[in-house]
Amino acid sequence: MSGIALYHWEPNANSGKPMLALMEKGVSFDSHYIDMLQFDQHKPGYLAINPQGTIPAMTHSGAWGTRVLTESTAIMEYVNEEFAGPALMPADPRDRWRIRWWMKFMDQWLGPSFSMIGWNVFVGPMVRQRDPAELDAAIERIPLPERRVAWRKAISGQFGEAEMAESRRRVALGIGLLEQELGKRAYVGSDQYSLADINIFNSTYSLPLSQPDLAGKDRTPNIMRWLKRVYQREAVQKTWAMGRTDLAHRYSLIMEGID
Amino acid sequence: MGAVLYHGEPNGASLTVLAALAEAGAETGGEAALGITCRPIDLLAGERHRIPGLSERVALDMGIEGEGPVLVIDGEAMTESVFLAQYIDELAGGAGLQPADSHAHWEMMMWCRQITERLSPAAALLGNLASSQAEIAAIGAADFAGITASIPSDDLRQRWQALHDGTIDAAQVADSEAKVAQAVARCEGQLADGRDWLMGVYSIADIVTFSWLAGMELLRPEAFAAAPKTTAWLARVQARPAVAAALARATVSEPLRAWAPGPEINRWG
Ligand SMILES: N[C@@H](CCC(=O)N[C@@H](CS)C(=O)NCC(=O)O)C(=O)O
Repeated sequence: MSGIALYHWEPNANSGKPMLALMEKGVSFDSHYIDMLQFDQHKPGYLAINPQGTIPAMTHSGAWGTRVLTESTAIMEYVNEEFAGPALMPADPRDRWRIRWWMKFMDQWLGPSFSMIGWNVFVGPMVRQRDPAELDAAIERIPLPERRVAWRKAISGQFGEAEMAESRRRVALGIGLLEQELGKRAYVGSDQYSLADINIFNSTYSLPLSQPDLAGKDRTPNIMRWLKRVYQREAVQKTWAMGRTDLAHRYSLIMEGID
Repeated sequence: MGAVLYHGEPNGASLTVLAALAEAGAETGGEAALGITCRPIDLLAGERHRIPGLSERVALDMGIEGEGPVLVIDGEAMTESVFLAQYIDELAGGAGLQPADSHAHWEMMMWCRQITERLSPAAALLGNLASSQAEIAAIGAADFAGITASIPSDDLRQRWQALHDGTIDAAQVADSEAKVAQAVARCEGQLADGRDWLMGVYSIADIVTFSWLAGMELLRPEAFAAAPKTTAWLARVQARPAVAAALARATVSEPLRAWAPGPEINRWG
């Protein structure tokens, strides 16, 4: 037993990162599915693990007791360093710098724009039909004030035109930069499959479907080649099998269509 | 060709990298042993956007910490001060700035991420309002247009523009003050068990946190009034020979009051 328990939602974005990193390392873990659309992440059981009420979180139990780890990208670095198995960071310091740079670019610049769009078109509409009083109570339980604001906007469809336009600008620009990067190197930031690929794959595999005007065989051949190569990894298949919605399955159909 | 570190006054992101370099240099027998030459530039004159001889510039053009230092190696521009500090430590073969234990290392990376995501933008906003804003507002129209035209990132350009036009509102200032107070409270909590350094051993977490918080002690002393452990820790960091050496590179009398447009305030919780 590895002593690892992972609290995650669907295999994508932040939840997908530690799921796939653990799979790549061959580390077995107890999976605790946190249904974000049922607000499981704000319920007392989960808040006892991560008082911030965000996912993912990972616990690692052993002789030292139980460690709680948060921040998905930092969790991946921990998984890579703590366990044997294939190295998910190259040895060269400059490659390592470039990998960390791209992960930050995704986590703090491009990713938030993907999220805003995703919450506007998907998360909000999914949750909106429920009883307003019940939703209000759910929002009141959210620990982080900025997440409370995001949920309110998503549920009432109140993202502003300016902020949505800014998110769309960033998505278009970011996809272009990733396309250029993957024209220079086989993988993101280096010639070796690494944490950067795991990170960015989890936020971009849906692009051919969600942003067909920006990403696809003709517009972004380097991205498509790379998506397919990562998609074919056994660890991705195993990770996607852990999803409970048809999210991952729908994307697998797209991947099969890329040659 | 050797590597060149282009940096501003030793404060914020520039201080982080200069202090890490001095620390690693001391371990390995001088910065020259790492092949890195330091070159000061005037960030408020827009010099960071006119670095010559770059063949790979995405990290400079799209870096998200604002006007931070740039390390140039073989024409590739490298940015983001925490990762440059890690790079320098790793280039030196492990200069002791990152804990070897994977859990302690995770804690350091998680801490640095949260500092750069929450404290850095807040400190940069307050610092710029107090110091660089007047300087930026005084730049002549033609020169300012030249600077903004040389900045590829729309969002960084907007942060320069907001300082120039004086459009930062009271709510943003209050939010930044709250984030500085939270960072101080967090340090005080971390140091509560009497430890000398944030992660137990001295690490990049101390360097990064000091780099953004030391200037706040000058600007918002009231935020530190109930945090004696944090102020003692700030003094301890400042007394380290490598930090003192980094601060001694200043071309102004009070580098901890020197700021340039920084990272953006988180736009999605
Ligand atoms: N920086 C954190 C962010 C975690 C985060 O915000 N996760 C989102 C899901 S991808 C979340 O928990 N949202 C639920 C909510 O806001 O209620 C990480 O990378 O782990």
